[in-house]
Amino acid sequence: MATAPSHALLDDFSGQTDLTVMTRNVFKEYRMGEETIHALRDVSVTIATGEYISIMGPSGSGKTTLFNVIGGLLKPTSGNVFIDEVDVAQLDANELAWLRCRKIGYIFQSYNIIKVMSALENVTLPMLFAGVPPDEAQDRAVDILRRVGLGDRILHTPKELSGGQQQRVAIARAFANRPAIILADEPTANLDLKTGEEIIHLMKEMNREQGVTVICSTHDHKMLDISDRIIWMQDGAVKRIARRDEVEIQIDVLQEQHH
Amino acid sequence: MGANWEIGQLKLSLPLVVSMAFSSLKIRLSRTLLTVLTIATSTAFLIYVLTLEKSGDQTETENWYLMMALCLLVAAAGVLNTMLMSVTQRYREIGTMKCLGALDSFVLYSVLFESALVGLAGSAVGVVLGLAVSLLLGVLEFGGEVFSRMSFDWIALKLLGTFLVGMLLTTLGAAVPAWIAARMPPMEAMRGEK
Repeated sequence: MATAPSHALLDDFSGQTDLTVMTRNVFKEYRMGEETIHALRDVSVTIATGEYISIMGPSGSGKTTLFNVIGGLLKPTSGNVFIDEVDVAQLDANELAWLRCRKIGYIFQSYNIIKVMSALENVTLPMLFAGVPPDEAQDRAVDILRRVGLGDRILHTPKELSGGQQQRVAIARAFANRPAIILADEPTANLDLKTGEEIIHLMKEMNREQGVTVICSTHDHKMLDISDRIIWMQDGAVKRIARRDEVEIQIDVLQEQHH
Repeated sequence: MGANWEIGQLKLSLPLVVSMAFSSLKIRLSRTLLTVLTIATSTAFLIYVLTLEKSGDQTETENWYLMMALCLLVAAAGVLNTMLMSVTQRYREIGTMKCLGALDSFVLYSVLFESALVGLAGSAVGVVLGLAVSLLLGVLEFGGEVFSRMSFDWIALKLLGTFLVGMLLTTLGAAVPAWIAARMPPMEAMRGEK
């Protein structure tokens, strides 16, 4: 696994050696009665190992669909999605499960901590699915929970944890199998400003420490500050891709556009 | 460029299936007990009717059989309903688990094993209960003579048969919910809070 994060703009991807995600001319259409909804129109993005990518755009812009397509949760109508060199469309059900288990960590807007399980059990679960022996899985889960600042709450169940703490459990769980990619779907949308900021910084730290690629859909402009690149989506298409340093000067304009 | 990992396969962990089924039953304990009771009453009834067969009257037993069949059908529908509820309530949970790497077979076997446990408990209780009632009624009618005229082989056979019917019933009732749960798309986890 290449560890050095690359901040290169990869729209010209020839010769680049540490790609994690590449989508090529991805279309996704849904039929809704008589109507055809074009959720994704010709989306081609290339994301390097270790990058922190924010996907922005109004709801209905195709963020979540792109997300699901990259995560192997949804098959595109046409086009290809590659995780490293692997074409996701070629994988069978078991291989997709393996990909989700070992290579991708999901973080959800509503945390999705399994209610009936403790923080420890939640973080242990993906490792058990991956075939890690239970004792080792538990030790590792304790370590990760300490890392996200929940060392004193490992046996708490979700109802004994605040939203921010639950999202920390979710982050620990997403990182449990040392994935290559973290997919975070509006992870701060249900949190207050301060907690949201803590979560953003935690994700950035984990991104740096582990060299994991983070792809995060968000409405949160604080997220821009720590992103390597930002992808704007509109009507199912990529409207713009920019590096952070290109964005800062025009952030006011953008805020106007997206509020 | 090259991937420095190979796509692998996940193996189904049976101990994990077992512990998932147990914890699911424990969490919904009152509903579990109710389902056990449903199975128990219908298997008890089955045992009772089967022992009645030995004692005689032909037309009467035929009516009993019809009632028994209905009773078993109701029990199966009860299991179907309970497991369907159990599964639909866990949609997001199951979707989340699939995002974490749960195999379809893991979900399928967890639900099936969960209901097999219910079937096991229900059938066991029902068989014992049914036999006790039969014996009690027999003793009340014929006195101690019942025990001397009883064939233990015959009873053992009926007990085993009834037990298997109870298990089969539960598994059949759980088959559809288990299949629905296993086929649930992982995207279900992305849905917002209800």
